[in-house]
Amino acid sequence: MNSQSGRDGPLLSIEGLHFAFRSAGTASPSSLALIDNLQLSVFRGEIVCILGASGCGKTTLLNLIAGLLKPEAGKIEILNSRAAAVRQPIGYIFQNDALLPWRTIEGNLRLADDIGGNSSKEGTQERIAAYLKTFHLDRQILKQYPSQLSGGMRQRASIIQALMFDPDLLLLDEPFSALDYYTKLRLEGEFHQLVKGENKGAILVTHDIEEAVAMGDRLVIMDAGRLGNELSICKSDDRCQPENARGMPEFAEHYRQVWSQLKSVIEGARC
Amino acid sequence: MLIFRPAISRLLQWSLYLLPLLAMIAAWYFYTAADPQRQFIFSSPEKVYLALVRLISSGELFHNSCVTVMEAVIGFVIGTTCGAMFGLSLWYSRLIARIARPYITALATVPVFALAPILISWFGIGILSKIMLAFLSTVAVAIVQSYQGAMSVEPRFLRLMLVVGASRWKTFTLVVVPSSLIWVINAMKLNIGLALLGAFIGEFISAEEGLGYMIVKASGLYDMATVFCGVIALILIALALTAAIEQVEHRLLKWKSS
Ligand SMILES: Nc1ncnc2c1ncn2[C@@H]1O[C@H](COP(=O)(O)OP(=O)(O)OP(=O)(O)O)[C@@H](O)[C@H]1O
Ligand SMILES: [Mg+2]
Repeated sequence: MNSQSGRDGPLLSIEGLHFAFRSAGTASPSSLALIDNLQLSVFRGEIVCILGASGCGKTTLLNLIAGLLKPEAGKIEILNSRAAAVRQPIGYIFQNDALLPWRTIEGNLRLADDIGGNSSKEGTQERIAAYLKTFHLDRQILKQYPSQLSGGMRQRASIIQALMFDPDLLLLDEPFSALDYYTKLRLEGEFHQLVKGENKGAILVTHDIEEAVAMGDRLVIMDAGRLGNELSICKSDDRCQPENARGMPEFAEHYRQVWSQLKSVIEGARC
Repeated sequence: MLIFRPAISRLLQWSLYLLPLLAMIAAWYFYTAADPQRQFIFSSPEKVYLALVRLISSGELFHNSCVTVMEAVIGFVIGTTCGAMFGLSLWYSRLIARIARPYITALATVPVFALAPILISWFGIGILSKIMLAFLSTVAVAIVQSYQGAMSVEPRFLRLMLVVGASRWKTFTLVVVPSSLIWVINAMKLNIGLALLGAFIGEFISAEEGLGYMIVKASGLYDMATVFCGVIALILIALALTAAIEQVEHRLLKWKSS
């Protein structure tokens, strides 16, 4: 496979994924599959939003993709743009940031160098500076410890930490849910721009329909371990910033569509 | 600290620290002055003061203190370092950790007092046997504390290292060791007193120098003033060593205080 065809295929493709948590004390997986025959693909420059009721397995899916859990069956393929032997780094931004509290922000952002995943050590300084600018963070925070930053700043710092590993695929687990509305809007914009600008792929798990419609290119509703119908969000301009997308005439239509689907899923689960 | 107090009240704080001490000395003074007979067992502040002057000017107190400090500190450093390295490295293998557990528990529960005669007959009555005693009193605590520290690393940090594909060694050096540092420092705080006790017990049982030796010899002669001097020296040494550990803690855990 040459690099040309590699670029055209999906960044992530999942087929027939099956997973169940083993109930305590027994070796066999519990009969109730949490994730059952799941298919999903993500292309470059694309944000796929996953919506779903609490406890339906969204975090579990991301953990499976990130390799933290082993699937029982099915295929998770992440396109490797590098040598086959090197593991493709994934940028996984947890709901609670995972900045190391004993390292300064700078130390945290240089984690990629220290782990040795990053060969271009010289460029680190410039990349950090560029990302700080993208995410509207002051250089001063580099000398501070995570505990000295606000929640929103930490969230941004941990996104940069993940980006320093230069991943093609980003997984975000409700990254903006703990932020105030304005910070959220801004971060959404910054993140959207980054994915489009650097041609990465992203899966965004969220509870916020509005956010999903504004950010996502495609939108999937997860229902008891299956992904329901995909909803393509056709925007007149796919580089349109999320805050502007909220003002588009089609926004309300998308919102209603998603809500009615989500409602039927949630109500279906209840009875 | 959130509240900055003016210097004047700082002075007040310091004098408040000294107040209980002064009260104790005063009580001691009046109790022993009331009936000179009591001075035979309780000595008295003046006698202790005179003995202190004598022991300091002869260099005896300084020499014995140095010996005890040396034994305790060498035993402490070796015991805590080896113990912490071993305890942290148990993170690598649950199997070895499980096998090691009863041995560590045994080591932690055997009183050094019981080991002292054996060690003295093995290593002689010189400082080597005291260093070994200090080592043995500290190593178990260091192992237990640092292993617990290594096992209680927050899962989100381990998840992060897994996701970015860090090797086990990198995970160990970049996450397990720094996050267990608090536990290692706690071990140090406990151990400094234990090391001093170990060295002291060794000297107490058989030695030719050191504060333990000085105290045993003086109590044999009913020279209570010298015994008190030895105790005071021990207390001051313990306070100084603890303060030194706190300095180390402050350096190593800068991220915590800020
Ligand atoms: N380690 C585990 N062992 C057993 N069951 C688990 C474990 N982790 C999660 N589960 C179960 O799996 C289900 C899905 O959990 P998951 O965290 O993926 O939900 P989620 O969709 O991310 O929910 P939320 O929106 O609340 O974050 C839950 O019902 C939970 O009880
Ligand atoms: Mg979740």
